[in-house]
Amino acid sequence: MTTVLTRHNVRVFGHGEQPMLFAHGYGCDQNMWRLVAPAFEDRYKIVLFDHVGHGQSGAVAFDWARYGSLDGYAEDVLAICHELDLKDVVFVGHSVSAMIGVLAAIREPERFDRLVLIGPSPRYIDDGDYVGGFKQEDIEGLLDFLDSNHLGWSSTMAPMIMGNPDRPELGEELTNSFCRTDPEIAKHFARVTFLSDNRADLPNVKTKSLILQCSQDAIAPESVGRYMHQNLSGSEFVLMRATGHCPNLSAPEETIAAMEAFLSDPAPAKAVA
Amino acid sequence: MDQGLLIETAEELYESAPCGYLSTLPDGTIIRANQTFLTWIGMDRKELVGNKCFQDLLSVGARIFYDTHLAPLLRMQGFVNEIAFDLTCADGRVLPVLANTVQKRDANGRPMVHRITLFNATDRRQYERELLLARQKAEQATQALQRLNETLEERVAQEVAERMKAEEALRQAQKMEAIGQLTGGIAHDFNNLLTIIVGNIELLQRRLPEGSDRLQRAATHAMEATRRAATLTQRLLAFSRRQPLDPKPIDVNKLVAGMSDLLRRTLGEVVVLETVLAGGLWRSQADPNQLENAILNLAVNARDAMPDGGKLTIETANARLDEAYVEALAEPVPPGQYVLVAVSDTGTGMDKATMERVFEPFFTTKEAGKGTGLGLSQVYGFVRQSNGHVRIYSELGEGTTIKIYLPRLIGSDEEPAEIPSQAPAMVKGSGETILVVEDEPDLRTYTTEALRDLGYRVLEAGDGRGALEIVERHPEIQLLFTDVVLAGGMNGRALSDEVSRRRPGLPVLFTTGYTSNAIVHHGRLDPGMHLIGKPFTYAELAAKVRRMIDRG
Ligand SMILES: Nc1ncnc2c1ncn2[C@@H]1O[C@H](COP(=O)(O)OP(=O)(O)OP(=O)(O)O)[C@@H](O)[C@H]1O
Ligand SMILES: [Mg+2]
Repeated sequence: MTTVLTRHNVRVFGHGEQPMLFAHGYGCDQNMWRLVAPAFEDRYKIVLFDHVGHGQSGAVAFDWARYGSLDGYAEDVLAICHELDLKDVVFVGHSVSAMIGVLAAIREPERFDRLVLIGPSPRYIDDGDYVGGFKQEDIEGLLDFLDSNHLGWSSTMAPMIMGNPDRPELGEELTNSFCRTDPEIAKHFARVTFLSDNRADLPNVKTKSLILQCSQDAIAPESVGRYMHQNLSGSEFVLMRATGHCPNLSAPEETIAAMEAFLSDPAPAKAVA
Repeated sequence: MDQGLLIETAEELYESAPCGYLSTLPDGTIIRANQTFLTWIGMDRKELVGNKCFQDLLSVGARIFYDTHLAPLLRMQGFVNEIAFDLTCADGRVLPVLANTVQKRDANGRPMVHRITLFNATDRRQYERELLLARQKAEQATQALQRLNETLEERVAQEVAERMKAEEALRQAQKMEAIGQLTGGIAHDFNNLLTIIVGNIELLQRRLPEGSDRLQRAATHAMEATRRAATLTQRLLAFSRRQPLDPKPIDVNKLVAGMSDLLRRTLGEVVVLETVLAGGLWRSQADPNQLENAILNLAVNARDAMPDGGKLTIETANARLDEAYVEALAEPVPPGQYVLVAVSDTGTGMDKATMERVFEPFFTTKEAGKGTGLGLSQVYGFVRQSNGHVRIYSELGEGTTIKIYLPRLIGSDEEPAEIPSQAPAMVKGSGETILVVEDEPDLRTYTTEALRDLGYRVLEAGDGRGALEIVERHPEIQLLFTDVVLAGGMNGRALSDEVSRRRPGLPVLFTTGYTSNAIVHHGRLDPGMHLIGKPFTYAELAAKVRRMIDRG
């Protein structure tokens, strides 16, 4: 039987009492916290995990309906919290997992102390005055790209191309060892992620949050970060010098510093109106 | 000239390598590109270097991938291999490439430069697309097949039901065939035994002293019972289609009309007989004795099915069996013209289960002693042996019609046979020599004794070879009397052929329990051959032998 912990390849370490739960974004796995998480292990209980179909998550029959919206992924986060009996959680979510954390915190606000949202976006596609940064076609283009892309392609097709399906390792050699995804699940996750619209959920968040916004982030542009800030009451907004979409990898020091500053701020989180 | 000048410099190798080289800053800004890449993409160095990011050459979808997958991977593992990108060239063309990227770091592990190696993947992408398409097609075909399979199940079920019906019919036909072989074999052995029994009873009857009335009566009873037994084996043989038939051109109307007295007596007073005989009825070819038997069997069955009275109708008609009709039959029946005799009653009728089994020998629903279950077996065997067809229609509580189809006789001027007359009176011999060949000793003894009793001189042989020797030594022989089936390698037909070669014109009389192809083709006698079926009586033997010697 696979438990929640094996299913999500959950890893727990660190010397603190308060849990700090890291959630990776679309396209990666818990490895992407390798430069950030260790900075907090003295003071926190660090919890890492992989979303279904990503990294070392256990092979389970993928429930297409459950994961048809981000709610399914938020339920997974809560399931991990229940299993480990986590309270007062500092949730650190990157990219789409920022929104997944927001949804989890709306469901069970009492479990969460603070939310660190790195490169969040409540909606990726432009909608009237709202600028998400993408058009519907762009997302279709991404899905097409994934179809012909090597990561998904080689893991399923390379052994076939080589005419040696008995030796999948021949195909594996070509693939990349980190962030391995099940191509079908990854595609599904991409669709759910980029077609999601959680703007209406934002006002329901009662947890104190930090929005870490990179410069020149093509996935979550600055305008989107500012929209988040406006609609999340009690949120802090930090515009980083780091560029791109993954400051946790490209600028770990800056990321850690911003988090430290936010976490050491004693302002009561839940009282803000 | 210095050879060293001719060897390519590293610079030349870099610029003209068969792959594109790019160096970028960690954020993607291009800081160096080789000539191969510039040629591919159709831009000059100034346009590209320092002014564009690698991501700028990508579609939006690919950029998302770059930001979400490739960039983090580079940070984590320091390299990324074989990512398939479509680069947009200066003129808008799309260039499919495979990209390998290595991240170069300084002493502190800080990322400094990305070295990107690009392979032109136009052909490979084409090939991959074809593969993907093929896979898609295969999947679609599988799905189509699945859908087909689903509806197929229904169609198969239907087909199977039909096939099972046909198979059931075939099984039934095969069963009949098997039973036929079995009964044929038994009947054959029985006939031999009955011949001996009949002969010995006759011997007893002739030798019993005057005035021993009780013994005479006993012998008569024994003889009657034996005759009944002989009739039974005859019917068994008929069913097994091994009775020697003597087919003749017949006018079925005449035959039916000739039976009316016999039928009326058989049916009794409560059953009304009606005959409807078609005008212009075709002639047919069949053994008239056996056809009479068949009609009689049907009439008896009809009577039994109408214990409280009713009506029996015998009709004749010209009929056609078309392709469609005969194709549906389990047994092979050629399509074409037939003469139909239909016997209908207003009796109890039969249920389906009964109807399926009525032709089986010994199948009867009548109480013990009332029916032997051989009537319809005779009808079936006889009709099939005559290349005809039988069909039953029956409705519980309504009645039954049984139709016999006999093949139409075409192009023969021969007059229809007269209805057979009774056996001729006993005729004796006067010392003529007869050679009897029979491998069954008891039977041989009976035959020779009977012939001697009749006044003939008899020589005997147990097999063909012995018979030939005797023929050589005894030119006075006037008749060869031989069993068709002989032990010892030479059958009666071969013996007869050999004897005819040595003694042309010597008459040959065959005897057999059942027919064999050696003497009977498809149950018919070869023209000019004479046969006396077992069991034969003393009187039949006397008449037949006399006639043959007189003719020969
Ligand atoms: N005209 C009929 N109406 C109703 N049932 C019939 C009719 N003809 C035959 N049958 C059924 O078919 C069975 C077999 O008939 P078949 O003539 O072969 O044997 P039988 O009449 O029982 O005995 P047998 O004819 O040897 O004295 C009969 O026992 C009877 O059940
Ligand atoms: Mg009968």
